[in-house]
Order: sequence, then structure tokens, then C-alpha cells
Amino acid sequence: MDPILAEIYSTVLDAAPFVIAAYALLFLVLCGYVAYIMTKLKRTEKKLAALEEHLDESK
Amino acid sequence: MAKGNTAADPRVGGRLDALAPWALVVGALLATAGFVVNFTVAPLVNGAAVSEPALIGDVLVGNKLLLSQKIFYWHMPVAIASFAALVFTAYYSVRFLMTKRSCYDVRAKTATEIALVFVICTMVTGEMWTRFEWGVWWTWEPRLTTYFILMLMIFGYFILRNAVEDAERRAVYASVFGILVFVDVPICFLITRLIPSSVHPVIFRTDSGLSPEMMAPLMLSLVGFALVAFGLYRLRLRVQLMEDSLSRIQDKLED
Amino acid sequence: MRPAMERPSAWAHYKALVRKDVAQELHTKDMLTSMGLYALLVLVVYGAALAQAGSELDILQMAGGLLWAVVLFTSLLGLNRSFAHEKEQGCLEGILLVPMDRSVIFLAKATANLVFLSAVIAVTVPLFFFFFLSSAGAAPSWPLMIAVLAVGAVGIAGVGTMLSTITMNARGKDVMLAVLFIPLMFPLLWSCVSATTAVMCGAEGYMDTFVTSMALAGGYDVVMILVSWVLYDFVVSS
Repeated sequence: MDPILAEIYSTVLDAAPFVIAAYALLFLVLCGYVAYIMTKLKRTEKKLAALEEHLDESK
Repeated sequence: MAKGNTAADPRVGGRLDALAPWALVVGALLATAGFVVNFTVAPLVNGAAVSEPALIGDVLVGNKLLLSQKIFYWHMPVAIASFAALVFTAYYSVRFLMTKRSCYDVRAKTATEIALVFVICTMVTGEMWTRFEWGVWWTWEPRLTTYFILMLMIFGYFILRNAVEDAERRAVYASVFGILVFVDVPICFLITRLIPSSVHPVIFRTDSGLSPEMMAPLMLSLVGFALVAFGLYRLRLRVQLMEDSLSRIQDKLED
Repeated sequence: MRPAMERPSAWAHYKALVRKDVAQELHTKDMLTSMGLYALLVLVVYGAALAQAGSELDILQMAGGLLWAVVLFTSLLGLNRSFAHEKEQGCLEGILLVPMDRSVIFLAKATANLVFLSAVIAVTVPLFFFFFLSSAGAAPSWPLMIAVLAVGAVGIAGVGTMLSTITMNARGKDVMLAVLFIPLMFPLLWSCVSATTAVMCGAEGYMDTFVTSMALAGGYDVVMILVSWVLYDFVVSS
């Protein structure tokens, strides 16, 4: 490859892992938050089901 | 004094909540579009000068091209989204202090949670850029420092909420602290811009004059992440309100 | 004829509250001794921390930062205790029964904290100079430092009073205060350290840094104390 071209693009390959990592981490953080909301929702649903059962029994 | 839910409370499950899933989907699509345009259309920015400028094709190229700047196209939108969330925290905190209605406190708390998520997103993307461009994991550079302090203040907000037992008191204290944080943010930013730190020179290689090809992905991502933040906020708020009303029903039944 | 019971002015309330705090402190000497001793001990720790640094270390560059670290941690200790009496003896409930503007309580309490903090600073700073700067010596512009200390102490007392009222009712209040106080104080700390270092080193063009830093510190004081003043009513009466 042309040495000048090589110099122009010299940092691109080194930077690639960091760029990928940045996008991946951002995506992961957002996914993690969605997962957190979902676990909250599931727990609430479970509690709701338990409450319903409890009410049915006590009737 | 803090009133429970009444009929006059803003409704959940209304038009805003009908929009929320769409906001999430559209936001995600726009952010993805921004991502794609960023890597296909937007040109690489110029970095340090090469030893000898050369003619490639018909263009004279005198600088190294930087890929690391691509991080910026998602970094800035999430940072803006985090600030927007903090604005809502302050707004709902003020509303709470004015009305003492717990519905506003829940909203302020949820907005702060969204702010925390986006602050963390900003920190990790910024951190990757810092690591590559400056070669260090951490430096007490003004922008890094102020953002770090902001993160600590949001942590403080949640630690405070956990440390106060009484629900009404917790809401008042959290609201007041939320407002103080909001006041502190611009001061934090001003301070580190105005007082030069001699130890670490600020090397921002991205100049603010963005070409249209670079503006396009930025704007797409900006709108996209704003919508994502809104969608997540409504989703989280809905779950939180459901949990609250469930625990209220449980309390009533136990009596 | 004047009515027998005239309603005292806000200024009278303010004076009475400050006098109460100062008199109590003079009686018990609780806060002043603990804060003073703590500051001295931090200086001793600095002695150990800097012992291995050798003579080529430029202590002047660090002096501003070290000094503000003592001030900040000592004030944290004092602020934690500032509402201890009120809480233990139910004094605050009594004060709240008096029909007066709540912000007067804030101003009185902040003034009392400022008085104690200034007393401790007045002892700590000469000691700091004695221990660490006796050989190096500060630049001739060092007296300007007094202005920086004054602005910093006002900010610490104002915001600290607000936050210690909040943390008074929180679990683990000692840690809680630090968690809220230190990040919120960061801009003030940063600009005060910058101004102090500028006048202590007295390098060329130090006046520019000093003026900018002082303007920022002063702006921070004004904004934060105004906001705290407005919001104090909610905090103290909840």
C-alpha cells in the first residue's frame, strides 16, 4: 500500500476497537436499563397474581 | 400533607402512554439511521498533519483521518438527553413543592433515573474516546470532571431517597436536592471552562463547524435518543405507578 | 399608647437565634474544640503524607489544595453537629412554633455556622503556614487569600446549613452529608483552590486567575444561598 495512504489511515484501525466498544457499551447500558424495568414489571405482576390468589382464598 | 392519588392527578395510560411505545420504536429507528448515516455518509474528520501532503484522487490530503470521532455522533445526543431529563427533574420537583402531590415526586424520581442512565451512557462513550485519543483511562479534564461530579450528585439523590424513611419527607428532601443539583450543573460547566487547568491541555480535535453530511447523522441520533428517553421514561413511570398502587392496595387489605 | 405585646421584627428573631447558638457554643465549647482538634489532626496526617516527598517538591503548588481539603473536611464535621443539639433537646420544634419567616432560621443558623467555621479557619491557616510553609514562604500576594477564605466559608456555611438540615432526619446522617455536600461544593472548591494557589504562588498574571476564580466563587455563593434561602422553608417544616 502507498505509504502516504497508510499514514493517513494509520489511526483508523487502532481506533476501531474503541469505537465499537463505545457503541456496544452504550447499547448494553440501555438494554440493561430496559431489562431492569422488565424485572420490576415482572415482580409487580407476580405480586399482583399472589394478591389475587390471596383474595380468592379468603372469600 | 402529601396527598395520595386523586382523580385530578395526571392520568397514566392516556394519550402520552399510547405514544410511548411508538416513541421508543421510532427513536430506536432514528438512532439506528443516525448510526448508519454516520458510518456511510459522514466523512472522517481530519486529525494531525501527515509528514508530506499528497494528492489522492483529485484532493490534496494533508491530515490523518480520525475514526475515533465517530463516537461523537452518539455521545452528544445521549449527553443532551441526560440534560433534558434533569430539566424535567427540576420541573417536577418545583411542581411537587408547589402542590405537595406525590404524583409529581414519582415523576421527578423517574426523570432522574433516566438522567442517570443517560449520564452513564455518556460516560462510557466518552471514556472510550478519552482512552484512545489521550491514552489514559482517566484525567481530571474539565468536561470529564464536571460530568463525573454530575453523576455523583445523581447518585447522592438516590442515596438520599433511600436514607429517609418518611415518604413525605423523602419527597420534599429529594425535590429540594434535585433543584440544587439542577442549579449546580450550569455552574459546574462554567467553572471548568473559565478557569484553565494548566496540567491538562484541552485537545478537542473536532471543530464545531459541522458540514451538512455530519449534521445529518447527529440530528437523526439527537431526535432518536430524545424519543428513546421519553419512551423509557413513560415505561418506567408506568411500572412505578403500578407498583405503588399495588402496595397501597396491600396496605389497605391488611388493615 | 403602644400595644403591650409588639411583634418582634425578623431582625430581632435573627439576633436572638444567632445569640442562642453562640452562647450555647461558648458554654459547651463542643463544636469548636472538636473542629479545631480535627483540623490539627488532619495537618498531622499531611505531615506524614508529605514526609517522604523530599525537598524538591514544590509545596506552594499544592498548598492551596491541601488547605482547602482541611477546611472542607473540618466544616463537614462541624455541620454534622450543628443540628445535633436542636434535635436532641427538641429545640427545633420550639423554634418552629414561633410565628416567623422560616428563612430567618436559615440565615441565623448559617451565620452561626459561619462564625464557628471562621474561628476554626483563623486557627488552622496560621498553623498550616507554620507547619508547611515556614521554609518555602508564600508569595507577597498571599494576604489576598483572606478574601478567598471568606467567600469560601460563606458558601460552605450556606449550602452546608441547608444540607445538614436535610440529612438531620436521614439514616446514617454523617455519611449522607458528605455524599451530598462534597459534589455540590465542587465548583466552589475548585475555584477557591484555583484562587488560593494563584495568590500563594504569585506567578505572572496571577491576578487574572484570581479575579475569574473569585467571580465564580462569589457567583456560586450568591446563587446557591438564594436558592437555599427560598427552599429552606420546605425542608425545615416538613
